[in-house]
Amino acid sequence: MKHYEVEILDAKTREKLCFLDKVEPQATIAEIKNLFTKTHPQWYPARQSLRLDPKGKSLKDEDVLQKLPVGTTATLYFRDLGAQISWVTVFLTEYAGPLFIYLLFYFRVPFIYGHKYDFTSSRHTVVHLACICHSFHYVKRLLETLFVHRFSHGTMPLRNIFKNCTYYWGFAAWMAYYINHPLYTPPTYGAQQIKLALAIFVICQLGNFSIHMALRDLRPAGSKTRKIPYPTKNPFTWLFLLVSCPNYTYEVGSWIGFAIMTQCLPVALFSLVGFTQMTIWAKGKHRSYLKEFRDYPPLRMPIIPFLL
Amino acid sequence: MAAAAATAATKGNGGGGGRAGVGEASGTRKKKGPGPVATAYLVIYNVVMTAGWLVIAVGLVRAYLAKGSYHSLYYSIEKPLKFFQTGALLEVRIVPSSVVLTSFQVMSRVFLIWAVTHSVKEVQSEDSVLLFVIAWTITEIIRYSFYTFSLLNHLPYIIKWARYTLFIVLYPMGVAGELLTVYAALPFVRQAGLYSISLPNKYNFSFDYYAFLILIMMSYIPIFPQLYFHMIHQRRKVLSRTEEYKKFE
Repeated sequence: MKHYEVEILDAKTREKLCFLDKVEPQATIAEIKNLFTKTHPQWYPARQSLRLDPKGKSLKDEDVLQKLPVGTTATLYFRDLGAQISWVTVFLTEYAGPLFIYLLFYFRVPFIYGHKYDFTSSRHTVVHLACICHSFHYVKRLLETLFVHRFSHGTMPLRNIFKNCTYYWGFAAWMAYYINHPLYTPPTYGAQQIKLALAIFVICQLGNFSIHMALRDLRPAGSKTRKIPYPTKNPFTWLFLLVSCPNYTYEVGSWIGFAIMTQCLPVALFSLVGFTQMTIWAKGKHRSYLKEFRDYPPLRMPIIPFLL
Repeated sequence: MAAAAATAATKGNGGGGGRAGVGEASGTRKKKGPGPVATAYLVIYNVVMTAGWLVIAVGLVRAYLAKGSYHSLYYSIEKPLKFFQTGALLEVRIVPSSVVLTSFQVMSRVFLIWAVTHSVKEVQSEDSVLLFVIAWTITEIIRYSFYTFSLLNHLPYIIKWARYTLFIVLYPMGVAGELLTVYAALPFVRQAGLYSISLPNKYNFSFDYYAFLILIMMSYIPIFPQLYFHMIHQRRKVLSRTEEYKKFE
């Protein structure tokens, strides 16, 4: 059996960083990354980007050396992706924050509102309802992160955690401040408005969860396969007929429900910002579906049926 | 800050797409210009802006000579200042590559003109207003004529030098004028509750313009040094390269 030789050069400086001889032809990029780490321990596999061309796309961990367009001496170019952090860690941190922060405001912990309000409780039912909804939402997200989601990538750049936490924690504090404020004004149309909004919220939460489960079932544990999602027996998943990313659709719906229920402008603004970001993600996902699958259902829009 | 960001915005990205035509901040002589129609449009735009700021400059000088003092000159150039600075919003569309930096710069200028100076009448007679108006005026006259000449592929060295050198004084001057003006506006904003909304209200929202202005002032602390040193760096790159070319002439 012929062995390969692999040399790894820095993509920017072309400096020779590592030379591996006697590499198995069936070795995967993942294994090569592990070998590279042995000589350069500060560059753990997650922060390595190896490519055939200095400016080209990164090779996937599953790619096999033998199947790449290289001779028996392969030249790979290396780029440092920077410090990495696992998706699970980021998600848990960014979701635990809002859960905890909201409760600080709900219980009117000292130094937030005037001293006479310390540890008092709101007399409006909707404020208690809002706390339950908000907390439920983030508990759901935490549990999904731990037990439901199957991530394609293991890690993301470290700086993302600061960016993401600022966003989630900041908005949570901003919304919670007003909803739990002693001078909070309940919705104009009273119990009617609250009931309707709560219904929207609950339906969308169930919908969002259904989609997460459906997506999970598309992908076997430990794999990174991608398939076209289709509606299942669960009626909430029928939204797949009309949109590529119904999980985002339901998420926006949940927050709109929450905004109507609390009649709080900061919540509406948070929904708007979230909607903008999710639309960008949905469009990207939709585009990659179209690129990858010739037979992708033509009726589907990225996030809003027929519109967006 | 707004003054400096103006130069930084366009320098930082090689002057953006069609704007400068000749690559400048990057230092490379890439003659990739826009088409003839776009060039004509851009030339006209830059000429008009240069003329506009010259009008403001002339207005300032005339008012100074007529009044005999440099106080309260704002009133004599209020209208053209508002018109031409607000008109710069068009630039955001023209420079696709540095949309973030350009819009940031234009927004902060427009904010200062409308949301501070125009809205808080009491600061209009402050000397700090004159300070940033002068800084902006000189900067913009040089900047727009720089673009005009660049588009016509005939850039006198003096203009290039002026654009990459005068900022050293004009930028801090502009920043000082802007900060002092915002600071002067604070008591009046507090007193009148300008642009502020307090609880309780139907939409459960509050906004304190006073606190917002303080936040704006504080944001100068991280942003100003970054932009300033970025431009000093650009200066070294651009002017030293020109020196090299001159050696070969």
